[in-house]
Amino acid sequence: MQKEEVFTELIQEHQALLYKVTSIYTENKEDQEDLFQEVVYQLWKYFDSFRNDSKITTWMYRVAMNTSITFIKKKKRRPDSVPIADVFLKQSDTNDDAYDERLKLLYQHLKYLNTLEKGLIFLLLEGKSYNEIADITGLSASNVGTKISRIKKKLKTNMTKQ
Amino acid sequence: MELEELQSAWTQLSDELNHQKKLTNKIILDMTKQKYQNKFTTITKYETLGAIVCFAIAFFVILNFGKLDTWYLQVCGILTLLFLIVLPVMVLTTLKTIKNIDILNGSYKDNLKFYLKTKNKLLKLQQVGIAIGFVGLFFIVPVTSKIISNKNVFLTSLKTEQYVIFAITMIAMVFFCKWAYNGYLKVTRSAQELLQDLE
Repeated sequence: MQKEEVFTELIQEHQALLYKVTSIYTENKEDQEDLFQEVVYQLWKYFDSFRNDSKITTWMYRVAMNTSITFIKKKKRRPDSVPIADVFLKQSDTNDDAYDERLKLLYQHLKYLNTLEKGLIFLLLEGKSYNEIADITGLSASNVGTKISRIKKKLKTNMTKQ
Repeated sequence: MELEELQSAWTQLSDELNHQKKLTNKIILDMTKQKYQNKFTTITKYETLGAIVCFAIAFFVILNFGKLDTWYLQVCGILTLLFLIVLPVMVLTTLKTIKNIDILNGSYKDNLKFYLKTKNKLLKLQQVGIAIGFVGLFFIVPVTSKIISNKNVFLTSLKTEQYVIFAITMIAMVFFCKWAYNGYLKVTRSAQELLQDLE
């Protein structure tokens, strides 16, 4: 199979992952679209450097999160990104108002977190273990545990305030 | 909202998204390609703007060419026109060629070779532009002076302040050219790295 085919299949298979990463680091659709494109580009750029010593998703999380961090530092919209909003960047296809409301609240709570905290809670929400989070972020597992319990407290405080 | 609710909302979002496999191969490849082209968007904008200014001035010189009443002023006028028209056209054409390299369909080796060749051409053009820019002052100034204030600088002795302005312009040009040329080097270097990363 050609490199392009393998790559596009990989992106298609894990587009939800990319969507979720880009959604927590951006605040509007345009930025998300732009970041999404940047992440895909970075994944393509470093596709050959992926060695099978870690899971492909671990590598994808790492690249996507690193790209997001540099993106929010620059935070400059490029004018001519490929228009993907209509085909993908939708949170839900359902008409479930309660679900939409819960999602809105979820993102609202995530907004109170800083960049590192967002990354850690994102991985936790993704169901990753502390060891996996440590592997992706480069922190030690114990440090991950400490930080996550602090983030949980912070979230809880914010939730009770509202 | 409790933490458990956050988790359940996130899980539902994940499930929803897993059912929305809407990105096509074409969109994914277009995104990658578009990114490469964006690298040159800024530089093309500046060059296009510069070219428009050059063409407007060239048009002004053509309209007033009759005012250049000696053979040497006419030679200066022709050189000015060549400088204002030929160089921007060549730069824009080269930039267009670089932007349109098909990084996904062409073979890596061919793309890289083509890119390096075009990149060198662009940098050469910049060097020529810088060199002509300096020499250009000696034929552009007489033309503009004759057209705007009807003075033949070859027959008029310059005042001290005019020499000072001329010197300041030259120094400013050195800094501007250095800055612009470094900008080009940066852009072409990063795009070259990009192409090398592809294989």
